[in-house]
Amino acid sequence: MNIGDFAFLIPLLPALAFVITLFFGKRLYSGGALIPIGAIGASFIISLLITINILQNPDQVIHQSVHWFAIFNLGILIDPLAAVMLTMVSFVSLLIHIYAIGYMEHDPAKPRYFAETSLFTAAMLGVVLSDNILQMFIFWELVGLCSYLLIGFWYQKPSAAAAAKKAFLTTRVGDVMFLAGIIILFASLFQAFHGEVPEGVYLLQFSEMFNHIDALAAMNATILGMEVSHLTIIALLFFGGAIGKSGQFPLHVWLPDAMEGPTTVSALIHAATMVTAGVYLVARTFPMFLSAPDALIIVAYLGGFTALFAATMGLVMNDIKRVLAYSTVSQLGYMVLGLGMGAVVGLEAIGVSMFHLINHAFFKALLFLCAGSVIHAIGTQDMRQMGGLLKAMPITAGTMLVASLALAGFGIPGTSIGTSGFFSKDAIIETAFVFGEYSHDWIPYIFAILAALLTSIYIFRLFFMTFTGKSRNNAKAHEAPSIMTVPLLILAVFSLVFGALTLKPFIAFMERTFDNNVISLNIEHLATLGNYDLVLEHGPEPLFILWLPVIVAVAGLLISYLLYYKQVIDVSKVVSRENPVYKLLYNRYYQHKIFTELLATRIVYELISLSADYFDRKFIDTIVDGIGKITMSAGNFMRKIQTGVVQNYVAAVVAGVGLLIILFRLIVEVI
Amino acid sequence: MIGLEHYLILSAIIFSIGLYGLMTLNNGIRLMMCIELMLNAAIINLVAFSAYSHDITGQVFALFVIALAAAEAAIGLAIMLAIYRIRDDIELNEINILRW
Repeated sequence: MNIGDFAFLIPLLPALAFVITLFFGKRLYSGGALIPIGAIGASFIISLLITINILQNPDQVIHQSVHWFAIFNLGILIDPLAAVMLTMVSFVSLLIHIYAIGYMEHDPAKPRYFAETSLFTAAMLGVVLSDNILQMFIFWELVGLCSYLLIGFWYQKPSAAAAAKKAFLTTRVGDVMFLAGIIILFASLFQAFHGEVPEGVYLLQFSEMFNHIDALAAMNATILGMEVSHLTIIALLFFGGAIGKSGQFPLHVWLPDAMEGPTTVSALIHAATMVTAGVYLVARTFPMFLSAPDALIIVAYLGGFTALFAATMGLVMNDIKRVLAYSTVSQLGYMVLGLGMGAVVGLEAIGVSMFHLINHAFFKALLFLCAGSVIHAIGTQDMRQMGGLLKAMPITAGTMLVASLALAGFGIPGTSIGTSGFFSKDAIIETAFVFGEYSHDWIPYIFAILAALLTSIYIFRLFFMTFTGKSRNNAKAHEAPSIMTVPLLILAVFSLVFGALTLKPFIAFMERTFDNNVISLNIEHLATLGNYDLVLEHGPEPLFILWLPVIVAVAGLLISYLLYYKQVIDVSKVVSRENPVYKLLYNRYYQHKIFTELLATRIVYELISLSADYFDRKFIDTIVDGIGKITMSAGNFMRKIQTGVVQNYVAAVVAGVGLLIILFRLIVEVI
Repeated sequence: MIGLEHYLILSAIIFSIGLYGLMTLNNGIRLMMCIELMLNAAIINLVAFSAYSHDITGQVFALFVIALAAAEAAIGLAIMLAIYRIRDDIELNEINILRW
């Protein structure tokens, strides 16, 4: 019996736990928390065993598929990419579920909470191990639904309900693009087969998609006078889905608002797992992007811009969770930037990007859980009312410091000493440097370095404001119970050592994703399709480049230290409504004004909706109502025929029969 | 010797009586009896032709029509009874509240 035969249990167990907890959770211990924990724990063990199996033998990936209907199938594909993702998702989800027992202790709706997070975990695991893009899309929508439900978990709060709606609608924009991409892909592949698909070939399977990249690249469409290959269109539409899910500019607006949900939800969905689904989607379909360098450039620029843009807003937020939310957007920008570097370094791009994804999941989940622990203790999210918590909450403060160091990327280049964030973020920044070196396009690198500086400043601002100085709050802070601190400690250990232990083998392992018994691709050939060459070997970067990320991280720490700990200058002078830069940042670049008031209210509502409404009322309604009125008046006139006198009806019947007979006679005679 | 035409003439006379009644009477029960007459005229026709052409089909059909007539009479009488209970008479032309 192979461990791969149990792969279907990975999403199935949490899904079963969802049903049980939803219906019987009230009668069980702690709102039925133990059932999802057990189920996800089992999923984690299966995922871990599968990962170990694949690690030893990367050629033999797990692939199972059953016929669904027509030319679609349902299947499981666990290759290196999926395996590490599965393990990470189930592991982080397990820890957060354990933590939630403590965090949600006083909430009366615990069964609903645990049921929904369990369903979310099932859906997320389903996204990861789908072997075709249609199935992936179905699970993709399901995680969106769970995100909606959990952001609006405290639906009695109007702000939570509004945030849930905003998240759902904003990601929907991306999802529609993703769906459009699938439809175009399907139509193009159908055309490539000349409309005759042989038995047993499932068009939307990843392996089938990758086998026809040449055909897709050869098809062209003209859009706005530009000749674009179908491949580029499909890749960009898929990336559109990723933009929505992974909170990239300009669809990132939902993510900071999503912090209305419980902190554990923010940690699970909006930091570690769901938001990385977009990155995973791009990594999963990466061969298509490799052959469409135009799409890759857009990916790189958008990622770099998002990394910097979100970091600037993270600088001025006062809500502890919002700072972390912008930080998540910024770090996701890094991952997307890393993917965009594929135009030079090839598959190494998904290696560095996924590496950052995994590490980010550890330290960002840790940051959120620490923030949750602080919120749990003092009952506010406003950092201006925190301070001096170091003594009261030593474990939380210590783990938070570890996570902050990991996020800022502290470590010593050239050695294996450093936090996990250091190795993964540096890998991306160095890849951006290689990209700049070979394509003479330095913009992604500059974005990445500036964002690294800002990252360090905002995260230590958060740390100093929360844990040092005088307490600005009357609440009696206390350390969280051990059911909450143990997951913190475990995550802290991973944040510290995971990167150092796994950097090189991890990236090499990732590169095996598209070279095994199911999917075997010639990467250089894909690059030639896009008219460029890959840089296969790039030597050690200059020493200065290796040290620069650490230097900016230390600089950020110093700036924060001086401003928020020593307070060498009075911060409140800078932080005022008169300062135009602060005003711009604090108002988040007026995104709300632009998106809601200008785009939604002025253009969509007043211009398009109202004119459509006028046209509908005046023009279409006149026609429809007119037809109705004519029918009514005709009926009014005609119903006088129905006299209700039996004799009239009989006479009519007899007259009718007589007429028929005469007609019949006439016809017979004529013939 | 009674030939086919005798039966047809009988049937035509009964049918005409039924039709005349239907066109002149007003009482619900009487109208139903007229309809029965017309149905029975048709049955006579069926049986007569059946016997004349040595084909059993017409007689089978006659049985069907009889069953149908019985069902129709049962339902019709029930309706008449219900109307009578409400209005104390069954003058059909007076029952016109659903008319325009």
